[in-house]
Amino acid sequence: MSLKPKKVVVPALIMAVLFALPVFLKGDYYLTMVCSLFLYVTISQGWNLLGGYTGQINVGQSAFFGISALVTRLLWAGGIPFIPALLCGALASVVLSLVIGIPALRLRGHYFAIGTLAVAWIAFLAVENLFPGVTFLPGKYVATYSLLPRYYLFLVIMLSTIIVVSLVVHSRMGLAMESIREDEDAAQASGVNITKYKVIAFVISSFFVGLAGGAYAYFHVSYYWYLPFILMWCFEPILITFIGGVGTIWGPIIGAFCYVALKEVFALTLGEVNVLIFGAVFIFIILFFPKGIIGVPEKLREYLFRKEKGSRAARQKNMNV
Amino acid sequence: MLSIRNIDVYYGDLQALWDVSLDIEDLKITSLIGSNGAGKSTLQLAITGLVTPKNGTIHAGENRLDNQPAHKIVDLGISMVPEGRRLFPDMTVLDNLEMGAFSRKARGKLGETMEWVYGIFPRLKERIHQRAGALSGGEQQMLAIGRALMSRPSFLLIDELSLGLAPLVVRHICRILEEINHSRGITLFVVEQNVRMALELADYGYIMENGRIVGQGESRGLLNSEDIKAAYLGTH
Amino acid sequence: MEIGQFVIYGVINGSIYALVAVGLALIMGIMGIFNLAHGAMAMIGAYISFWLFQDAGIDPFLSIPISMGILFIIGLAMYKGLFASMKAFSPGQKIRNSMLVSFGLVLIIENVAVLIWTANEQRVSTAYSGLTFDLAGLRMPYIGLVTIILAVLVIFGLHLFLKKTFFGRSIWAISQDYQCAKLMGIHVDRTMLIAFGIGMSLTAVAGAIISQYSVSPSIGLDWVNKSLIIVVLAGVGSIGGVFYAGLLLGVLESVSAYFVGVHYTGVVSLVILLVILVFRPQGIFAREAGR
Repeated sequence: MSLKPKKVVVPALIMAVLFALPVFLKGDYYLTMVCSLFLYVTISQGWNLLGGYTGQINVGQSAFFGISALVTRLLWAGGIPFIPALLCGALASVVLSLVIGIPALRLRGHYFAIGTLAVAWIAFLAVENLFPGVTFLPGKYVATYSLLPRYYLFLVIMLSTIIVVSLVVHSRMGLAMESIREDEDAAQASGVNITKYKVIAFVISSFFVGLAGGAYAYFHVSYYWYLPFILMWCFEPILITFIGGVGTIWGPIIGAFCYVALKEVFALTLGEVNVLIFGAVFIFIILFFPKGIIGVPEKLREYLFRKEKGSRAARQKNMNV
Repeated sequence: MLSIRNIDVYYGDLQALWDVSLDIEDLKITSLIGSNGAGKSTLQLAITGLVTPKNGTIHAGENRLDNQPAHKIVDLGISMVPEGRRLFPDMTVLDNLEMGAFSRKARGKLGETMEWVYGIFPRLKERIHQRAGALSGGEQQMLAIGRALMSRPSFLLIDELSLGLAPLVVRHICRILEEINHSRGITLFVVEQNVRMALELADYGYIMENGRIVGQGESRGLLNSEDIKAAYLGTH
Repeated sequence: MEIGQFVIYGVINGSIYALVAVGLALIMGIMGIFNLAHGAMAMIGAYISFWLFQDAGIDPFLSIPISMGILFIIGLAMYKGLFASMKAFSPGQKIRNSMLVSFGLVLIIENVAVLIWTANEQRVSTAYSGLTFDLAGLRMPYIGLVTIILAVLVIFGLHLFLKKTFFGRSIWAISQDYQCAKLMGIHVDRTMLIAFGIGMSLTAVAGAIISQYSVSPSIGLDWVNKSLIIVVLAGVGSIGGVFYAGLLLGVLESVSAYFVGVHYTGVVSLVILLVILVFRPQGIFAREAGR
């Protein structure tokens, strides 16, 4: 892995900007939105490793996000200092991924998707019943509540997620994972231990999603216990990664940015029907940009060279034979 | 007569056929030979409309084929026995045959056509309610041909008939194909890797390599040609 | 309440589940489209029955042909607009894209439903709604009996349709070999379109029944959840199996409510799903299409 000067300088600059951001962003509203952005990047990038690179579509990520939030919150509100609580939360997420992962990853294609969705549903229903109501932060924590450490927490978690996923993806492990995505049988025939790499991807993914969940528990003063478990947390990372471009490092980043911006704009301007419009936009993007925003330049090129429309249609049709 | 003129076929940006022209004469048996991956199957796909050529034309008599969807081409009397049989594995022999007669024209004469197919392939009649996926290789090939015949075609395209079959079975099927050609006047276009079998069966042959036609001629002449012998016939 | 009564309710519930699931079995199992909005369609069916009852006084069972027709047309539009472009995708891509698109659809449908009908629970109450008759010392609601009969008719009717008619078999053929189906002269696009419409219209039957219990805009996700379990239990591709799987789920849930309490029945069904997925992912009843 060669480290060209440009490859180090640009990210370093961006990181510096992000670290300095709170100085320039006045007001809780913007900081909160950026925290939200970081959160979405993290869970999407986590999903991307398992779904985009290894091809295992996990539709149940809310269970992992939620369980970490639950454990972190219980421990932290119960008196344990935050960082150990956070790590315990992430650990809970990892344990869940091993418990679920080892049997579930034997399932192929849509069965894995259905299975993970079922897990997420069970988790939601269980928490809804076992933990009804709202969780409130103890008074001392509310008194000393500050947005700044939370901002940096989200930032650090996001950056570490991106860095680790990046490293994995560019290593031999990453190659193995992508080969599993492309053709499991061929990968196996080439000597790749597909179960091992699927599990590794699952564990890493769940760890960072877990960190995000713990940060969520740290961030919100009060919320319904079941909130981190709602199914939206399953679909949002998939959509975001999709919008940005599946199987790329920048995909979840771009996608999260667009998603958060879009949601905010809609919520502010459209009032009651914002979810409806959002759903429509959701659909539009998936139908017309199957490769995501990263695929837009390619789409543009196709559009501009429409002179060859007839034959291009023919060639495209043949591709799907 | 089915005539193909100067077609190019692409898969995405990859060109598979280059300026291919050939004629399949009515009532005759024509064969296309060449090594694996030469593009022969692609040509079959182009004729049946599963793949569209970028350039060139395909005509069956007066009718233009290359701009039609696959299901319309069946109505024009062109039927294919695909490579690898491609039966409907979970359906019975009977179902597969009936599916072959899906087009309206053929459905009307279903009973009559089926009797004829059973006459040619009595083995199928014995296995009528068995799952197609459970048949032996030879039986599957017979079923595939029978199914293609159910649409009462005037052109029958056969792709890689001999693949995975014992020589005795192949010979048996070839004899049946000859019989169909002579007695019912069905034009045959046989695409094959097994050069000897193809040229012994056919009247006329084309040779394809790398997506191009590189030779043609009366099959007897081809069989005796030194080049063909050297390239394809080895020590058989 | 003795356990026998729970079993009866389980059978009735199971029949409803099966009726909702059969459309999904056709669409997902045979066409490969993962339609998360399936439950929402049953909800729409229920609302249509409710509306026809409220405004036109038509008994919900009698209005079934009307709601089927409406849902058929909606289904055609849905397929043409959303899923037709995915017809040549690889199975994995098709599942992922259709799942995402249908999720967006759920957001839209549920919100539209709230706007039109409000978030309140609605219910169709006919003259015979609460009536029961005696069955070996247990109570069997009349509605329940009709439900079970409808479930049998619809599901096995569909099964026969797919097995015996040319059109039905062409749907089946397409699911086994898309290209080959074209070679048979099957108009694949048109067939898929109509099959999807049929799958949607079947949910109208379930909707008519659901409307007599309770309908609100948010019930969709729960129904698609149950339907998924049943489709997987039955074996992807099996239609007749949907009936048995539905019954099994309904009875198991009901009986477990007897032991564990009503709140956790949802969990029970999901755990069943997971167990099946781990030990026998091809489904209990998959004789025909073991994919």
